[in-house]
Amino acid sequence: MEATHAHGQDHAHDHGHGHPTGLMRWVTTTNHKDIGTLYLWFSFIMLLSGGTLALLIRAELFEPGMQIMRPEFFNQLTTMHGLIMVFGAIMPAFVGFANWQVPMMIGAPDMAFPRMNNWSFWLLPVAASLLIGSFFVPGGASAGGWTMYAPLFLQGGISNDMTIFAVHILGISSIMGAINIVTTILNLRAPGMTLMKMPLFVWTWLITAYLLIAVMPVLAGAVTMLLTDRHFGTSFFNAAGGGDPVMFQHIFWFFGHPEVYIMILPAFGIISQIIPTFSRKPLFGYASMVYATSSIAILSFMVWAHHMFTVGLPTAAQLFFMYATMLIAIPTGVKVFNWIATMWKGSMTFETPMLFAIAFVCLFTIGGFSGLVLAITPVDIQLQDTYYVVAHFHYVLVSGALFSIFAGVYFWLPKWTGHMYDEKLGKLHFWLSTIFFNVLFFPMHFLGLAGMPRRIPDYALQFADWNKVASIGAFGFGLSQLILLVVVLKCIKGGVKAEGRAWEGADSLEWTHLPSPAPYHTFETPPTVN
Amino acid sequence: MAQEQKSQKASAWQAARAVFWSFFGVRKSTDYNRDAVRLTPGQVIAAGLVGAALFIATLVGIVYVVMH
Repeated sequence: MEATHAHGQDHAHDHGHGHPTGLMRWVTTTNHKDIGTLYLWFSFIMLLSGGTLALLIRAELFEPGMQIMRPEFFNQLTTMHGLIMVFGAIMPAFVGFANWQVPMMIGAPDMAFPRMNNWSFWLLPVAASLLIGSFFVPGGASAGGWTMYAPLFLQGGISNDMTIFAVHILGISSIMGAINIVTTILNLRAPGMTLMKMPLFVWTWLITAYLLIAVMPVLAGAVTMLLTDRHFGTSFFNAAGGGDPVMFQHIFWFFGHPEVYIMILPAFGIISQIIPTFSRKPLFGYASMVYATSSIAILSFMVWAHHMFTVGLPTAAQLFFMYATMLIAIPTGVKVFNWIATMWKGSMTFETPMLFAIAFVCLFTIGGFSGLVLAITPVDIQLQDTYYVVAHFHYVLVSGALFSIFAGVYFWLPKWTGHMYDEKLGKLHFWLSTIFFNVLFFPMHFLGLAGMPRRIPDYALQFADWNKVASIGAFGFGLSQLILLVVVLKCIKGGVKAEGRAWEGADSLEWTHLPSPAPYHTFETPPTVN
Repeated sequence: MAQEQKSQKASAWQAARAVFWSFFGVRKSTDYNRDAVRLTPGQVIAAGLVGAALFIATLVGIVYVVMH
């Protein structure tokens, strides 16, 4: 009690002197809400940057033949699009959600390590500058694919070193963020908030944070070995010196497959908050959802070589990874069934967050099924490096991860800004995004099945029609994202006042215990959870 | 109270069953409520590691059967 009182005095003291204002507020902030906002704006800027690269790719592929760029530049675009979207847009967006929501959802006053939190964020613009700046160095940006495979990545100019350095920095940022999230969840929960009472978003982030701590050092090790091969005379991946380029792929994908789940588990968490809210029913099978998430996390370490079926694995290894990959679909399927069961006979309404959540369930499932197709080794050997693979992972990462981010932004905007967003514009954003997303990526299944290889700037004439359709979809999808920007700016500026519990069916602490907008400092006195 | 909790501690078999169901991704709510009270984190981690080893061994066994 005394401690609570003392804390309250600190709070008053803090306000008496005021915070730094203007730019310095954001540079020096240790407040989880400010840092969450920084992460989200950063990831939005990176989404637009990576999206611009994607539009350049689709512009070149609009027609067969080389129109607007050199092939080397095309390869730089595909490489940097992947790196920027994975490390700059999707991952930081989820960390932004974690910063804003985890303390409020567990009744904590802030993150456990606020200063480290500040540093975690401010490393990101440094890494982003290195990545984007590498376009302007001699030889241009890295062009060997976002996976940085040796031996291609051992060649090339200074941009590869910039990419390696950027990946190191991003990894440090992710590890610090993950440690912060684990410590916050394990140590700062309000009295009565047992682990199994935590909202599912918090659970998915706890598991994701463990995954990050486990695999980001593996990536750091892989790129460090690349660096020493490039500059310090080692031959880890250089066959001429006795090394093995395939070893890089094993190490990379031992990071890379859990990374896929790092990008999708928080999405599962957001969707698991939204569907019960707009179905006005508790989440069906909460415990099963927690168990399934843990199971997916463990299994994610056992399937990495399904990315490498064509590198010459022994048949026994191909079979092992095929079986293991198929089995991971079981807990994922459990989740999809639980979301459907939650909606079943619910009093559903279809506000924008719910629309994006339903689109997530439908379209992510398509991505999951095409993943199962690719898990079959002989099929994968046919489809390896075709547009079918591009279609598959964009269904997982765009209509999966990105749509969940959109859903989460619409869901929590009233809590963050204190205003309801413009529902009409939100729905317009949803419908245009969903339609153009499918126009963009669904034809890629056909192109892949017909044999069109990925990462090429030109293609045979029989692929022309569907490429044209996909490029139209790409520009529609890309431009539709400007609507989100308008919605968010409008919502920050004003609008209908949001109530504390802006959504009727919402029942987590930020909705039941806090006003909208959430005050700068919350839960300095922890709530008691029954 | 401490004695009561001690007597409620789950057996290795119960921990193994909880981990099996967690791999499948489904748990009956009554069983889950019992798990939440009785299972210790150490038990879950130990059972999880053994479960993962068994999972890999089973898959390797199936691969062996398929190939021979």
